[in-house]
Amino acid sequence: MAKIKVDHTKCTGCRSCELICSLHHIDNTFNPKRARIKVYIDGEHHYPVIAGPYTDAECTAKNTVIIAGHEYDECELCRASCPAKPVFKEPGEEIPLKCDFCGDPPDPQCIKVCVTEALTLIEDTEDKEDKEDKEDKEDKEG
Amino acid sequence: MDGWVGRIIRVDLSRGDFAIEDLDPYQAMDYIGARGLGTKILYDEIDPKVDPLSPENKLIFMNGPLTGTGAPGGNRLVAVTKSPLTGTVTCPNTGGHLGPELKFAGYDGIIFEGKAPNPVYLWINNDEIEIRPAEHLWGKTTNETEDIIRAEIGDKWQAMDTHIACIGPAGERLVRIGAIMTDRNRVLGRGGAGAVMGSKNLKAVVVRGTGAVTVYDGQAFKETALAVLEKVPPGGGPVGELGLLAIGEMGALFSILATRNFQASVFEGWGNINMMALKTQFLVRNRGCFACCVPCARVYRVDNVEGFECAGEGAEFETHALLGAACGVDNLPAVLKAGYICNNLGMDTISMGGTLACAMELYERGYLPEKDVGYKLNFGNAQALVELVEKTGLRQDFGDVLAEGGYRMAEKYGHPEISMTVKKQEIPTWHPQAVQGTGLEYATSNRGGDHMKAFVLSEELLSGGSPETALKTEGKAAMAIHGQHRNAVIDSAGLCTVILAIAQSWDFESLTSLLETATGAGYTQESVELAGERIWNVERLFNLAAGITGKDDTLPKRILEEPQLSGAWEGHVNRLGEMLPEFYRLRGWDEEGVPTQEKLQELGLA
Ligand code: SF4
Ligand code: SF4
Ligand code: SF4
Repeated sequence: MAKIKVDHTKCTGCRSCELICSLHHIDNTFNPKRARIKVYIDGEHHYPVIAGPYTDAECTAKNTVIIAGHEYDECELCRASCPAKPVFKEPGEEIPLKCDFCGDPPDPQCIKVCVTEALTLIEDTEDKEDKEDKEDKEDKEG
Repeated sequence: MDGWVGRIIRVDLSRGDFAIEDLDPYQAMDYIGARGLGTKILYDEIDPKVDPLSPENKLIFMNGPLTGTGAPGGNRLVAVTKSPLTGTVTCPNTGGHLGPELKFAGYDGIIFEGKAPNPVYLWINNDEIEIRPAEHLWGKTTNETEDIIRAEIGDKWQAMDTHIACIGPAGERLVRIGAIMTDRNRVLGRGGAGAVMGSKNLKAVVVRGTGAVTVYDGQAFKETALAVLEKVPPGGGPVGELGLLAIGEMGALFSILATRNFQASVFEGWGNINMMALKTQFLVRNRGCFACCVPCARVYRVDNVEGFECAGEGAEFETHALLGAACGVDNLPAVLKAGYICNNLGMDTISMGGTLACAMELYERGYLPEKDVGYKLNFGNAQALVELVEKTGLRQDFGDVLAEGGYRMAEKYGHPEISMTVKKQEIPTWHPQAVQGTGLEYATSNRGGDHMKAFVLSEELLSGGSPETALKTEGKAAMAIHGQHRNAVIDSAGLCTVILAIAQSWDFESLTSLLETATGAGYTQESVELAGERIWNVERLFNLAAGITGKDDTLPKRILEEPQLSGAWEGHVNRLGEMLPEFYRLRGWDEEGVPTQEKLQELGLA
């Protein structure tokens, strides 16, 4: 299974990913609000978030997340299409939007336009192998 | 319609009401959009002789058909108005997210007319349009204005997707080099559009939209856009990697950066204010505009240099060249701070730097007494630079004189020839005694001294050219004309010139396929090229009617008569006289620079 690696430090806040996602899912249409990815631009920070599953109720307890001195609203980092926020929903409706990897077989469009490689496609299995290799090595060394 | 949304808002500020109008599809096709369409509307609707700061002038915000699409660099919004600095039509454009947001709200543009009795701002949230009081914002800096408006929106999700254009104290005080800021750090910079906005008592335009921009043939459009992307070097190449200051390095390499008010073209302190200095000391991260694949903006922060603390975005190359090299200042925090104040008060950094450089030379030559200016204003005085930028934005003390721009200041002190301006607008850094074609471009620019209306520099030196070709005058007229039409199309389509130049996709063929797949309006390469020429000519007609004539197509006396440079450029002046007659002839203009009837007929302007 492939997955998208998101690197906040490389993101420039250009929103090209939002645009191509919109065009891919709705004929001839650029509308960032209908994209399944959202790029937050907050002061000195940019962070893309890819839409995940729908939830019909918001969390009862929310956490504060601090990464490298910056305080994030957990609902921004969260991938859910949720009543807590007007994000990942068709504008004016409650129909949830979710990343579908651009179809079957997966052909993620967003990574194609992300020139700075903030979004890249990686193979999950490779990750595991890397990890196993490392563990093997550690075992031997240990 | 595809590409265009098809609607514009007309706001009568005097009466405090507005109307929604349909875009004229034929006019949109002929003038493409943004710069071209805005200019055509201004030319049709105002008397070019009006006082630019009177209610009779109009301020037109206009997008292009590609603004808000995923075309690489499809983010430009243009402000068209009669300039209080030059008296010509001017057309600064901004990247960022404001233009696209306006289209998502459902509008190609906004025409502001008249003058509000009291300060107001315009609120646009899709179909909800309101002219709201702005007394509480008057006097605030651009950053404060952003903060207050965002706080007033209340809902954080709505606030984060709202984009704002506003003026600072400079625009309010009718500073002739006043700019309109968008998204805090993007700018409608050149020509004083901020002062026009201030003269109308219009503090801000606030936009939020949830709609769409559609294109005619999404699949073909996507292929065209991806083909452009493919030609962009990974990460945006040197400009993506190091910002627009990377272009400055080329300027330094060729020794063509205006230094100490154009008295030299080698600045010994450049290494202290260049891209590496910024990167190693104050860079926070790289940033791009909407739909950008060559992120050239630099988010920076200076928090450890007393007196020069600042944080923002920019560090544009021309800012460093004019506020730095042209003023002989090699103190990076000071240059960043001066640029920051320009953004915060709302001023054009090129004209600010050029004006201060002129003041410094006037002072050093003894034409400008110390008691007037309040400083020992030698070249290189970083502290004075920063303080005088602030004073200019507030029209305080000598800042009141600087606020008039370099030409008017130098004239007041009896030496207009010391001002490095064309049509009273400060010229950019590329020294026109070296790059001859760029000199022609400055001289003939319809909005006064400017390098982005043809970017001849690319062809004559940076990509494919050489110092020898730079010094030639042959062929430069044709080069300038080609660039002028091409850039008129880029500015009118709503695209970013930098991206298309880097992707080498600014030929008419590439531009036509982007325009045609987006609009399906029937554009051909010929009709697009002709539209570029039409736009150039309608700007010219406006200027002629405003009283700006062929006599004004010139360069500062020093540039034409007194060799300033050394090294490869030693002994050279700009030989404008060898290029200008040919330029007029190739344009189908008479010897005085007036378009012939024949030419006007060909362009449908007769
Ligand atoms: S395309 Fe890449 S760099 Fe641009 S906003 Fe999306 S993730 Fe960030
Ligand atoms: S957006 Fe995510 S974090 Fe916030 S309430 Fe909903 S599920 Fe919880
Ligand atoms: S993979 Fe496809 S659906 Fe998912 S965010 Fe990227 S473009 Fe959108």
